[in-house]
Amino acid sequence: MTDAVIEVDGLNVARNGRRVIEDATFTVGRGAYMGVVGPNGGGKTTLLQAVLGIIPHDSGSIRILGRPMEEFDEWSRLAWVSQHSISFDERFPINVRELVGLGRINRGNLAKPLRKEDWVKVDEVLGFMGISELAERRVGHLSGGQKQRVFVAKAIVRDPEVLILDEPVAGVDAEAQELFYMKLSDLNGREGTTIVIVSHDLAAVFCRMSDVMCVNRRVYTSPISPDADPNEVLQKAYGEHFHFVFHEHTCEGFFEDV
Amino acid sequence: MSSYLLRLLGYRFFQYALLGGSVAAFSCALVGLFVILRKQAMIGDGVAHVSFGGIAIGLYLGVEPLITALIVSVLAVFGISYMRRRGLADSDSATAVILAVGFSTGLIIISLAGGFNVELFSYLFGSILTIGAWDLALVSVLGVFSLALVGVFYKELLSITFDEQASRLMGVPVGALSAVFNLLVAVTIVLSIKVVGMILVTALLVLPGLTALQLDLGFRRTAFMSVVFGVGSVVAGVFASAVFDVATSGVIVFTLVACFLLVSALKGLVAHGA
Repeated sequence: MTDAVIEVDGLNVARNGRRVIEDATFTVGRGAYMGVVGPNGGGKTTLLQAVLGIIPHDSGSIRILGRPMEEFDEWSRLAWVSQHSISFDERFPINVRELVGLGRINRGNLAKPLRKEDWVKVDEVLGFMGISELAERRVGHLSGGQKQRVFVAKAIVRDPEVLILDEPVAGVDAEAQELFYMKLSDLNGREGTTIVIVSHDLAAVFCRMSDVMCVNRRVYTSPISPDADPNEVLQKAYGEHFHFVFHEHTCEGFFEDV
Repeated sequence: MSSYLLRLLGYRFFQYALLGGSVAAFSCALVGLFVILRKQAMIGDGVAHVSFGGIAIGLYLGVEPLITALIVSVLAVFGISYMRRRGLADSDSATAVILAVGFSTGLIIISLAGGFNVELFSYLFGSILTIGAWDLALVSVLGVFSLALVGVFYKELLSITFDEQASRLMGVPVGALSAVFNLLVAVTIVLSIKVVGMILVTALLVLPGLTALQLDLGFRRTAFMSVVFGVGSVVAGVFASAVFDVATSGVIVFTLVACFLLVSALKGLVAHGA
């Protein structure tokens, strides 16, 4: 048995009568740092939501951490950050530390207050994400980049084995994005956390990540090697007629911080 | 004046009023904050009107009206969420339907029982200055029950209020907790009927939280301030109504609205000054 955290076989997903994902078969190996790319409306979010059981699928099998998705209930081993969660109502009265604390909720501590160790972990993660000084700030008052780091902190405070991020960098400036990908590399390298992230930043995907998943109704995955030509990978995924915005394959400056 | 107030404090009825009012205001302010953030203020209003049917049944059958009101209200909140889950109606429309069913049932039973009377009016408009030891005991038990529920499920309620979908993926039993919360709303409203009456109970539920939300605090502090505004307004209202001899529930709601306007105005001043 391979050490795969997510195994998908022959997955078909329809939304409003339209086939959005067709015959998707792929695995995400333990410790992978996988970038999910593809055109808008190509089914990236749908695919992840179907894999997590948030929306139903028509056929095919999904296994998460070795168990069929339908039976999977070890939610403390997996964390998910959605586009939706970051675009919450900004007037919601909650500060950064309180929100990240909610990430410590799991099946084992239902109906019990968080313990001292939980708050120690919260403060540790705030430090790791570089947002300790924001702890008492209202989440709704933060900038896009700060919010994004708060929601990722809420996810990783669970100590997940698998972290799934659905386009968390939308609307965030380039510098904050760069810092963000750096933190994820760090997490992936040091803790061995498997990361699956939807991203429009092809440079970040090809320079930082170990695998790429191209989604455009069909799903194509490929490992990324240092000398791989992204254009070749993308053409394999989408065919000759696809026009790419990704022109140069230059990763200078990307690996320095690791 | 102050000696008059002190003398008031010596009366049993006044002590009951302050205690019962504070318990009701405390749970309303706390539960109400969740109600606002879950955008369910209409459900509060719906349950309050449905409880009219329950009160009428209780008066007709000669059993404690608050108990029948509680049973009918609990059925109503589950009816609302059933209609929503089955896709029969969205939350607002389901509430409107259940509200109408409850209220019309009440009207029919009242007419069967021989029309409106003083006791019914006390449930419609509140009668905190006349609550007896039994009422106080009932209000306290329900109050402690609802506060205990909020206390026990505090982090889960906050989590599903903030993001239901994310909570589900963290292993939080969202459906069961929503049911617990609906139960909480029904209990809180029924226990507050004696204090401000079913017409104005939504104000006691929603205004303290709305006022506290103006302060831009974190959740814990917002909840604390919501309770301060709620209990403060009820206490001030009970005193003011005794001194000026006007309807207590009216003064309580007036104080709540005044707090809300004052805090909003001050916030505006600070924002312009900064």
